Amino acid sequence: MDKISRRDFIKIGSTATAVGAAVAAASGTRALLEQGGATATDHSGATAATSFTETWVKTTCALCPSGCGLDVRVVHGKAVKVEGNPLHPLNQGVCCLKGQAAPEVLYSPERIQHSRLQTGGRGGGDWQEIPWDEALKLVADKLVELRASGQAHTVAFIHGETRGQMRALINRFMAAYGSPNVISQDSLDEQAARLAMFLTQGINGIPVYDLNNASYVMTFGGNLLEASRHVISYLSSLAFMRRGRPQRGKLVAVHPRMSLTGTKADEWVPIRPGTYGALALGMAGVIINSGLYDADFVRDFTFGFDDFEDEAGTLHMGFKRLVLEAYPLDRVESITGVPAADIARLAGEFAINRPAVAVMPTEPGGLASGNGSYTGMAIHALNALVGSIDVPGGVLVQRFPNLADWPEVTPDTAGEASLLQERVDGAGSDVMPLALSAYQNVADRILADEPYPVNLLFFYNANPVYDAPNGDRFAQALKKVPFVVSFASTLDESAAHADLILPASTFLEVWGDDYIEGTGYAGVSLRRPVVEPVHDTRNPGDVLLSLAAEVGGPLGDGLPWRDYKELVEYRLSGLDMDWAKFEENGTWSEMVYFNAAPGSPAWGNVVGRDRLNAPKDGRFDFFSRELFAAMATPHDNDCLPRFELPVTGESADIGAYPFLLVTQTLITQPRSWEGIVPSLQEAYGLQTNMKWSSWVEVNPRAAEALGVKNGDLVWVESAVGRLKAPVRLYEGIWPNAVYMPPGQGHRTLVKWGRDSEVSVVIGANANKLLVADTEPLGGLAALSPTRVRIYKA
Amino acid sequence: MARWGMVIDLDKCFACQSCTLACRMENNTPVAGPDQASRGRAILWNEVLPFVEGEYPEVTMALIPRPCQHCDNPPCTKVCPVKATYKDEEGIVCIDYGRCIGCRFCTVACPYQVRYFNWYRPEWPEALKEHLNPDPEVAPRPKGVVEKCTFCIQRLRKAREGAEAEGRPFTATDYTPACVQTCTGRARYFGDLDDPNSLVSQLAASPRAFRLLEEMGTQPKVYYLKQG
Repeated sequence: MDKISRRDFIKIGSTATAVGAAVAAASGTRALLEQGGATATDHSGATAATSFTETWVKTTCALCPSGCGLDVRVVHGKAVKVEGNPLHPLNQGVCCLKGQAAPEVLYSPERIQHSRLQTGGRGGGDWQEIPWDEALKLVADKLVELRASGQAHTVAFIHGETRGQMRALINRFMAAYGSPNVISQDSLDEQAARLAMFLTQGINGIPVYDLNNASYVMTFGGNLLEASRHVISYLSSLAFMRRGRPQRGKLVAVHPRMSLTGTKADEWVPIRPGTYGALALGMAGVIINSGLYDADFVRDFTFGFDDFEDEAGTLHMGFKRLVLEAYPLDRVESITGVPAADIARLAGEFAINRPAVAVMPTEPGGLASGNGSYTGMAIHALNALVGSIDVPGGVLVQRFPNLADWPEVTPDTAGEASLLQERVDGAGSDVMPLALSAYQNVADRILADEPYPVNLLFFYNANPVYDAPNGDRFAQALKKVPFVVSFASTLDESAAHADLILPASTFLEVWGDDYIEGTGYAGVSLRRPVVEPVHDTRNPGDVLLSLAAEVGGPLGDGLPWRDYKELVEYRLSGLDMDWAKFEENGTWSEMVYFNAAPGSPAWGNVVGRDRLNAPKDGRFDFFSRELFAAMATPHDNDCLPRFELPVTGESADIGAYPFLLVTQTLITQPRSWEGIVPSLQEAYGLQTNMKWSSWVEVNPRAAEALGVKNGDLVWVESAVGRLKAPVRLYEGIWPNAVYMPPGQGHRTLVKWGRDSEVSVVIGANANKLLVADTEPLGGLAALSPTRVRIYKA
Repeated sequence: MARWGMVIDLDKCFACQSCTLACRMENNTPVAGPDQASRGRAILWNEVLPFVEGEYPEVTMALIPRPCQHCDNPPCTKVCPVKATYKDEEGIVCIDYGRCIGCRFCTVACPYQVRYFNWYRPEWPEALKEHLNPDPEVAPRPKGVVEKCTFCIQRLRKAREGAEAEGRPFTATDYTPACVQTCTGRARYFGDLDDPNSLVSQLAASPRAFRLLEEMGTQPKVYYLKQG
């Protein structure tokens, strides 16, 4: 049928009048032949019978942190179309472009099809397929051997975005084995928001913003509508805020680059990169000065607004005096580049149009200027000033369901001792007492054998050689580790340096769960196999349980389930729900959020709940008592939200590197998939009309001074590397900033489309330009803006 | 007989491109790849188009999702020398791929540039063919024909079959194109423009409603609602 001639087409075509008929008769595609296709058509265009049967299977997406419910159309065992699950409270039937592209992930030609061992030098690419049993035995033997020699702590597990029971399983696996080294990627993205929330409100969690009920939404750097943590619900909420209710709300987006959020916002406020904190404090000054803050709330439910005396009689500075003395409008204007009149107006609008929320970014690079914790605190302080804590239209605290308890584990003495060792990333050490992980530190510390050599490294959903700043250092570090195991699904940059790949099945092939987040109320969403596994891959959850059984001891006792599905069923058995109905609906949730009245018993769940060293007195800390306790010799300034110049932007030679490279995650960027998703590539740069490529956005005025035009190839060079990319002139960017899209720069061995090359790098990896540093206390990555220069290639 | 039309509220559209991808997956438009995409040959029936206005910092950008406008007075059908493209009884502008001789007169005549030409037989990496939609109407098109948005006409057929199977009359709300179903801002509405009680006909009469290049007299059945 492929050889059908032009003439045949016309002949066949002339006998048919309906669209479907002609196609069915003529094109003879494989899909059509396999499925049986149409049998007959009448002249109205309706096919009388289509012989295939189809089913719809509900599952949960894993391509971004939202975790939406999906409804997948399965025909003859193939997943052919994805829709949103109408019963899932977050996406309520809609589905974003990444979810739509999920079948391209499932059937990706880049997928690793069997477990494999790298037999030559690491990074050399001599891979040999080995049976799963052999592969698992190899890992289990290493684990047993290291544990027996008192080296359990030298096993590290690095993971990226991971939710539901999988995250708990990884933590439990490592704890029961006896290693403190579970290193998450969070220090690159959401950890800043989580930390700011903890230091002020006393909640260890990502804030949820109730946009459905907000009158005024101001997002500081957060690309709310493209890449935020709960992007899908924020998209729907913004639509509702505009057209679904009687009173229209206002959205203001602050960022050096006009993203889709900035474009579709009611107002875009361009700002000098890394200076959100100063703007927030300047606004706070205006709100306080004009008496527009919620005085009752501030008096009764916050701490450290006014100057205060501690128990020892020492006088401390309060938030009010700090912002009034240190952040007058002229100073804030000179720091941020936002005109004083605009700051005053925005502050007034924010204070008057309640409920108002100030939004912190949760995506990579959002608060990564080396001043992330204080910037986050400054932004979040605005919410307390206007009383937006746990009110409708304000900041909510995400609740999680009470699941069945994990079985008790009694660690043996060896495990107990190794668990107390310092972490490989340095999190929790004296320099970073508040850090949960410090992903960006791992490479340098491994290379320096700090605090000890790492003997076995696992990677799950993480690709640090690609996504850590200055990832080449990571590649070197990997060479130093004797045994590296990756759960990669495609041969990504880090997996290329592994000894062993235990390829993960995609989320459409496995059992699993996800917490529903972004609603406020508690819920879970089910992940289940939509189709039979396409390749000889396994669910990493199953792999960890197999390893636990093989290694035995406390690890085996702590994880007694035969497979991951059983584990999920056990944990979720704590919920009062009908499992059959859960499978049918794909989701279970409480469906209602109760806002806590200030001072009520419930208030303790939303303010102060997770504090470690500060009092749980139901007061929101302008003056962070948690910070005061964490520091050896705290100065008042160290405990209050404050602005510091972005370390990354200032440390380099300003004359040599005049531009500031800013980051901003795009909606077209797959977040948990390292391979090429071709249809996302074909929609990649909407605002600059770029497909299958990187680019560098330059303000036309700056380009004129540089003598470069639209489309010119230029080098973008930082102190650590340089990349070639075409210039896109873009009016929506701070004149001194340039932007390159993240997510590009992967090598692909597949020929994507006609006349395309095989083995080519698609675009350029902007992470290679980033100069990495680590913020003290919280361990956040400091990498944006990085100073660069631009010259013609 | 219905007269199918669409309304897109630009105030609720956040240019997320979910419609673009939903359309691709539903209608089997091929992966162009880097080479063909760089020649402007990517086939996306439902693209979102950016239009920048003003200079920094007073810059705005209009982002317009653009399916086939399904004109009531379509310029494309008039220039087709073989009557391969035509407006059906329900107002949907269709292409009979078997008749199309690939002259591309329609592509030039369309002021909205919604018509895409298949320069080659569509190609997918072998593995990706597994997910192609098996509905016969959307079987991949051959080389040398023009294709475009059909309002997901296969869904209309399936909706009618579904209603018949359930033994009830077909109604306009049974039929939803893929882009409308997936729209994250719920900015898209679809229905019978001739039914005065339908949401689309009411929205199309809104003071915010406008159509693209209305002055050309093409009478599109896709309406937009102004932002703000």
